[in-house]
Amino acid sequence: MNQPLAGFAPAPVTARMENHGNHMLKVAMQTGNDLLARVGSMVAYEGFVQYEPNPPAVRQIAKDWLTGEGAPLMKCSGDGLLYLADYGANVVVINLNGDGISVNATNLLAFDAHLTWGVERVKGLAKFAGQGLWNTKISGQGWVALTSRGKPIVVDCGGGDDETYVDPDALVAWSPNLKVKGKRSFRAQSLIGRGSGEAYQMAFSGQGIVVVQPSEDSTDRLRVRG
Amino acid sequence: MAREFQRGHKARISDLTAGTDLYVGVQISGPGLTFDISCFGLDADERLSDDRYFIFYNQPKSPEESVQLLGAQAGDTESFRVTLDRIPQQIRKLSFTATLDGAGQMSQVGPGYIRIVAGGEEVARYPFSGSEFSTERAVMLGDFYFKDVWRFAAVGQGFDGGLDALLKNFGGEVAEDEPAAAPPQQPAAGGAAPGFAPPAQAAAPPAFGAPGGGPAPVPAPAPPAPVPQPAAPGFTPPPAPAPAAPPVHTAPTIVAPLHTPPGGSPVPPPAPAPAPFGQPGQQPPYGQPAPPPGYGQPPAPQAPPGYGQPAPPPGYGHQPPPGQPPAPQAPYGAPQGAPHGAPQGAPQGPGVLGALQQFKETPTGQRWTQQNKKLVRADLGIGGQPVLARQGSMVLYQGKVDFSYKGAGFSGRIVGNATGQEMQLMRCTGQGQVFFAENSTMLHPIELQGDAVCVSAENVLAFDEGLQYEVRRIEGHGIPGGALFTMQFQGTGTIVVKTHGVPVVLPVTPTTFADCNAVVAWSAASQVVVSSQVRMRRNSYPGDTGESVNLQFRGAPGNFIVVQPYEI
Repeated sequence: MNQPLAGFAPAPVTARMENHGNHMLKVAMQTGNDLLARVGSMVAYEGFVQYEPNPPAVRQIAKDWLTGEGAPLMKCSGDGLLYLADYGANVVVINLNGDGISVNATNLLAFDAHLTWGVERVKGLAKFAGQGLWNTKISGQGWVALTSRGKPIVVDCGGGDDETYVDPDALVAWSPNLKVKGKRSFRAQSLIGRGSGEAYQMAFSGQGIVVVQPSEDSTDRLRVRG
Repeated sequence: MAREFQRGHKARISDLTAGTDLYVGVQISGPGLTFDISCFGLDADERLSDDRYFIFYNQPKSPEESVQLLGAQAGDTESFRVTLDRIPQQIRKLSFTATLDGAGQMSQVGPGYIRIVAGGEEVARYPFSGSEFSTERAVMLGDFYFKDVWRFAAVGQGFDGGLDALLKNFGGEVAEDEPAAAPPQQPAAGGAAPGFAPPAQAAAPPAFGAPGGGPAPVPAPAPPAPVPQPAAPGFTPPPAPAPAAPPVHTAPTIVAPLHTPPGGSPVPPPAPAPAPFGQPGQQPPYGQPAPPPGYGQPPAPQAPPGYGQPAPPPGYGHQPPPGQPPAPQAPYGAPQGAPHGAPQGAPQGPGVLGALQQFKETPTGQRWTQQNKKLVRADLGIGGQPVLARQGSMVLYQGKVDFSYKGAGFSGRIVGNATGQEMQLMRCTGQGQVFFAENSTMLHPIELQGDAVCVSAENVLAFDEGLQYEVRRIEGHGIPGGALFTMQFQGTGTIVVKTHGVPVVLPVTPTTFADCNAVVAWSAASQVVVSSQVRMRRNSYPGDTGESVNLQFRGAPGNFIVVQPYEI
């Protein structure tokens, strides 16, 4: 009976974070090496893992998030294998290795607790898209896992003054050293209800990359459940 | 009737024929010209890694005889026998080429073809003529390539150099001091020393060209020795062009190519295996700046040069030890290898850039490029015409692009009034690249070259403004809303169709039906009939199957419909 399913058994662990398929993240947990993950993202675990919602450290850093409902992160600690997923979104695992990355809050799945991180409001664009664009800037030596609705694409901004414009709903992550601007492509027509549907974009310029998902669905499925 | 291929068309062999023992015939001729017709067996990197799979007049068969040169017969200048299921694992592509022997150029070639014959019946034919070429000295006619299954692609791509340049392009070696027409292959199998260079005629393998020693390959006799073939059409050399109608259910289906550049410019040569990033390329793509994407799918993302040059990588240090996860403060976070040196195909490199390497933008010089299954990039600068796209489908753009409202037009408004769902379009003009995606649906760029296709209005994502389109209305009893609205596109250009999930492309047969909610597109030549299943006894059972209204498609073989696994 198990034969058709046998191919989905977990592969041996080779790193702290790995993909299991395209849509699931496997984290090798160890005591002393905690993980911060989105609340509600755990789908399975093996071993002894404990979860602490709304940990004090997070509360400290993510003051801005605290709008009465608590930070959307939980601290996971213990030993074992932890499986995380976000409603079938693609999972991208990154070993930061000293680099930094800014991640849209809804696209962050998990990261090592010892990384340097902070929450900031996207300048000039806050509450633009009606969702309030928060982003988490993470850097240091460790692992980060992002989610993306569909296989993402990475675009190089080119380094010059040329700007790359991204639909905020499709934005996943970007290099923190990029310059970010909000751009409203307002024209007279769009004011009378005949817009092109692309009323605002975020403009990136500088040296770095932008990660974009092939979907404009930025609803936070994990948060909806509360 | 054989399926006619056009340049760039691709199809699964299994759609053409159930057989795997195939006869491939090439007819090419020109006044005063002679040709060498050969077959390159290439590996997954499109390299000729094994000389024994270069099948030409001096080496008429591969070691296990899966590819054999048969000589001229049945009206063909040259013919091959290809037994697909005996081709070894490492050979992933068979490229059939014709090279000029002696003076001349490809534009002098008269009408010719490459055809596939199975069981005595011609199942595919790609006709070409010299007018498609100019000063080239060689032409890649067609490919058998393996992507999940064996497929055939009509390539029809000229190549400037002769046979030796072609051989070099595939990574083969040409010994020096040999005339171009006689690449002195060192066939590992036979140890053949090419003692005889120019073939008397490209048509017949020179019998005395066989090397002196060893188990030398000998030209196969024209009727091949019968080999037991389980459950496949028997292999017989085809009769002289006598078209025989294949059973209608095996009539192959062809969707227009994805990666032919518009405008009919010569296709750049198939990408030689991309050199590992960071290493000097072993072999620059011949005469072309950018390697084009491979067949059907974009290749593994490739970093454009200059990407991520800053950020000096930390020196090569510890690689993460495989096995158990590292202990706390263990080296998993330690500086690791330079991210930019990560070889292609490495699943994971350290650093942000290394980890995201696999999602890099696909380089392109084309107007429409599929970046991955769900993202399409349009370069407005190429071709110079605006793109019309569904509103809100832009996810990213670079350059100066202006988005403006595009009314649906008079007929569109009628549709909008009738259905309550107007097609909301925007016009993208300017210079730059726009990336389109919507809701993680799969995207399929279909290139129209004068033909027409009908697409259900909800499944249109974007298209070239140069295409003519009109709204057609299919009326019928029982269709929700009273009628089904489709857009018929015609002309030359690309249209991007989106589907939820992997679609199925069905050939139109006398009995092809589709759910009107799930059908995505169909070739415009097929006729649509609404068929309601009315059965006397239906009402005597409680409940309805819910599948009472279907669309029936009628048309000549060669028409197709596209159905998605999702009912809107």
